[in-house]
Amino acid sequence: MDRARVMAEVQEIFRQNFDDDTIVLTDATSAADIEDWDSLEQINLLTTIEKKYGLKFNLADVRGLANIGDMLDLLARLGVE
Amino acid sequence: MDEQSTRRQNSWLITGASSDVGLLLLRRLLAKAGEADRFVAQGFGDLAGIAPLVQEYPGRIQTLDVNLADAAALPAFLRMVEQTAPPLTHFVHLPALPVVNTKFKNFDEARFTMDMQVQVHSAAAICRRFLPAMAKARYGRVLFMLTSYILGTPPRNTAAYVAAKQALYGLAKALAADYAPSGVTVNCVAPSMMETKFLADTPQLIVQAAAEANPMGRNATPADVVPAMEFLLSDEAAFITGVVLPITGGSA
Repeated sequence: MDRARVMAEVQEIFRQNFDDDTIVLTDATSAADIEDWDSLEQINLLTTIEKKYGLKFNLADVRGLANIGDMLDLLARLGVE
Repeated sequence: MDEQSTRRQNSWLITGASSDVGLLLLRRLLAKAGEADRFVAQGFGDLAGIAPLVQEYPGRIQTLDVNLADAAALPAFLRMVEQTAPPLTHFVHLPALPVVNTKFKNFDEARFTMDMQVQVHSAAAICRRFLPAMAKARYGRVLFMLTSYILGTPPRNTAAYVAAKQALYGLAKALAADYAPSGVTVNCVAPSMMETKFLADTPQLIVQAAAEANPMGRNATPADVVPAMEFLLSDEAAFITGVVLPITGGSA
């Protein structure tokens, strides 16, 4: 997986979702770093990411995600290139 | 007189009849109905799903394609029901706009108004038109589709949906009291999340999470809910009115 490219794509999804072009994601970014990132936004983000990469997450896939690094690891495991 | 000649002619109005619940309810009611029983099935833009039943039971089902969100369309709809169906004995009200999970700061007033029209104002108008005649006939069964979200604490981000359902619940309670002396019962069912085409816009992760959180480990299906509706609509439920029956696998 081209991690830098996927990070940029996920960052763009976050910027669109939160309507905030100043968001900069790193592997360590978590819900604690973005004020509006709550459980509903988590679902919205995951649903947008599913559409972007043609995936379907299971609850088990997403339950343990602690930060963006975990998210990118999951996308790599699911075959995003 | 034999049983057939004394049997009451049942006349049903089912709104939201093209929903998965509506279709299963219609199918089960038709299988048990008398030859003289008649059904008016209202839907909006999706009545094709009822076509197989119309073919299977010729002359028994009248379908009406009406947008219940359009207040101006209601009077003509009520007239049409009155003109085409025998005096109503049963009214089942199922329609709702699909749930949109959204933060309250993004509350969509226009959509809320439309949902109130579809669910509450239409129910009130239909009841106002037909319940007095049911009362005069000393028989009537009315049933509203609610949600387990009105029992206890609802999930977050569902304000519009919960507010409309609570209003419908209030209407049911008030009408149950008003019509209890005249043999007309008004009841509700309150299923937990039900896996139907109604959930088309709900993210699968939310559906999966609801199933996992349910004590029985799954969401409801129309087959869980419809038999309970049939009971509340039956003659045997004559002494039950104003109730909300949870159909939730124990989740509420």
